[in-house]
Amino acid sequence: MDQKNLSRRRFLQSSGSLAGTAYLRLLGPAVIAIAESACTAKHTASPFKVLGADEANDFAAIAARLIPTTDTPGATEAGVIYFFDSAFAAEMSGQLEAARTGLAAFNAALDESHPDARRLSNLSEDDQDAFLKTQESEQFFGLAWAMTIFGFFSMSKYGGNKDNIGWDLIGFEGDHGAWQYPFGYYDAQVHGEANHGE
Amino acid sequence: MANKIRFETREEVDFAIIGSGSAGGILAKELSTAGFSVVVLEQGPYRKAGDFTHDELSVLVRGELHGGESEVHGQTFRDDESKTAVRPMRSPIRYARTVGGSSVHFTANFWRLRPIDFKERSLLGPISGTNFADWPITYEELEPYYTKVDWEIGVSGAPGPFDAPRSKPFPMPPMPIKSSGVLLERGAEKLGLHAQHEPHAILSQPHNGRAGCISCGYCMFYGCEAGAKSSTLAAMIPLAEASGNCEIRPDSTVIRIDTDANGRASQVVYLDPNGVEQAQKAKAVVLSANGAESARLLLMSASAQHPDGLANSSGFVGRNLMHNAHAVATGVFEQSLNDYKGVQVSRIIHDFYETDEQRGFYGGGGIDARPLFSATPIFHTMAGLDPDVPRWGKEFKDSMVHNFTRQMSVVGSTTSLALDRNNITLDPESKDAWGRPAIRETYRDHPDDLAMASFLEDRAMELVDAAGAVKSWRLGIHPTTGGEHLLGTCRMGDDPATSVVDSTHRSHDVPNLFICDGGSMVTSGRGQPTMTIMALAFRAADHIKAAASTSNI
Repeated sequence: MDQKNLSRRRFLQSSGSLAGTAYLRLLGPAVIAIAESACTAKHTASPFKVLGADEANDFAAIAARLIPTTDTPGATEAGVIYFFDSAFAAEMSGQLEAARTGLAAFNAALDESHPDARRLSNLSEDDQDAFLKTQESEQFFGLAWAMTIFGFFSMSKYGGNKDNIGWDLIGFEGDHGAWQYPFGYYDAQVHGEANHGE
Repeated sequence: MANKIRFETREEVDFAIIGSGSAGGILAKELSTAGFSVVVLEQGPYRKAGDFTHDELSVLVRGELHGGESEVHGQTFRDDESKTAVRPMRSPIRYARTVGGSSVHFTANFWRLRPIDFKERSLLGPISGTNFADWPITYEELEPYYTKVDWEIGVSGAPGPFDAPRSKPFPMPPMPIKSSGVLLERGAEKLGLHAQHEPHAILSQPHNGRAGCISCGYCMFYGCEAGAKSSTLAAMIPLAEASGNCEIRPDSTVIRIDTDANGRASQVVYLDPNGVEQAQKAKAVVLSANGAESARLLLMSASAQHPDGLANSSGFVGRNLMHNAHAVATGVFEQSLNDYKGVQVSRIIHDFYETDEQRGFYGGGGIDARPLFSATPIFHTMAGLDPDVPRWGKEFKDSMVHNFTRQMSVVGSTTSLALDRNNITLDPESKDAWGRPAIRETYRDHPDDLAMASFLEDRAMELVDAAGAVKSWRLGIHPTTGGEHLLGTCRMGDDPATSVVDSTHRSHDVPNLFICDGGSMVTSGRGQPTMTIMALAFRAADHIKAAASTSNI
């Protein structure tokens, strides 16, 4: 059996059953691609352990503005939403309720400022950023920010930082076992002359 | 190796040692290899080198080696005793709960004190409102034990222009210079200062059967998977266990030291891994649980005979807590340093070590250059970002991408003055996960400590700029609200009215109770206390062995 196609089909079916085809349109293509690849990797029908589709959409949209996709990958490509989901399912399960309450307040504020938007991801990127700015002092924003950072830079075993995208981006060569001198430009000038190791 | 020895709790061993860290690990090795029976009670688990990871989320964020964060330990903090202490998100008192204690996860910067540190009070005179005092011992008395640490624990380094005299050379050459070290040298040269090699409790080459450093870059906050960091876990515990006289008993949470009708320590009461109360009988007790935990345990051991806590007739148990204040200046450079690789520090500056009355305040300090916030990505994002850049969005991302490999910090570490108001007490409300009264810290820096930190921050900024930073900023001097350096709370001294232990670490009040850890220190030094804690432990061990062999414990 083609496990890959089966999982993918199941994901699309289950998503469809949750929110209908409109939901799929709301997800950006990048999120769908990640969801599919995660499905494939996990051989599971549902891509998320605890997050509902709308919640996942919102968290993914917030993360995508905090570390945006530019000419280089951002939170979306790093699969940060899967970190959110894994963390809320395990180590941070105690904070899931607070996060849901915070997200509800976030969406209520969004409704107030953009009555037709329904979801953050429906706004233009500039409008998303402008709205997020109004939320910066909220505890919920702080939580989403921290989790985006953790999801972008923690080990990929936690669900995010897919293929070490976060580490590669900033030039951190990762969880390497050992390094040889010289490490950088300035010590290379010295070790070059002095036969490294002193 | 032979099967490890196990003792029955009812069997009276020669020594019960509480804590297996920088001091406890050394005392365990010294006493057991001298033929005494020893049980070491360690509240953390028995992790080995292979258990240590580079998992930043687990270690840095979730406090894996601390045994969890504030919800587990319940510690509280206040800056004045008139206030009710509150529980912050991060525990104010931070140390590793694991066999080897904080020697496992410390950065391994390893400075000796200098002769003046032991007699500064006599040289400078009193400072009103403080408990500033001379040590009951001198540098010369401790020097052989510093040398013992160099060779037995394993220290890499090379002498600097201001170093105290040493009786033997370093056993190993220093760790190679990093880009942060090269840049600190550049800055120092321009400013007429003297950059010198950083001494490390890290093996630059194989030593005593242990492998040398592989430069993985995870020294600060992490355990060393190569065993090259000279923790007591790597250097001492294996020798203690191989003696056949020492049992390391991990996951043992001590709740009380009992005394008998003669006022002598008789047994150590602890919770075993299943939470069941046990009591280990011992001829003598050595308390090396660190400068916060030792004080808490003595206060928890109050009884009708010792109403204010054990060994506390002076009222000095828990008092005079000293953390060392810090200053940080950060610079971004044109080219990549990749300073996250290798040990943290390769060059230091000790030109400002001594008190200079022209500055107008007491104190001195040391300076180093290191990646600090650029050691790992989450840490960088949480604390190391350019303050002029937003915290999210494209500009944030671009700044991180550019700066992470190009950044370093120059760090100043200062003296702290001993004050009554800075102390460890038992929180009246908060409990830890084992039901013990939580550690309550009360701390407010002496103005001279903050003045010294500001002075070093200015010097650090000058150094970063002189080194050629294209952008630089300071962290700002903030009041200390906790720390890893836990000093002064059971200070040593000749006068039982103003100290907890004598110059051999025997408590003034309880003849068979010895206390040796950071709490023994009378003054704070200039910011890297572990070398001195280890030297004190070797010295204490010699005195305890001598006393025990003449039945004087």
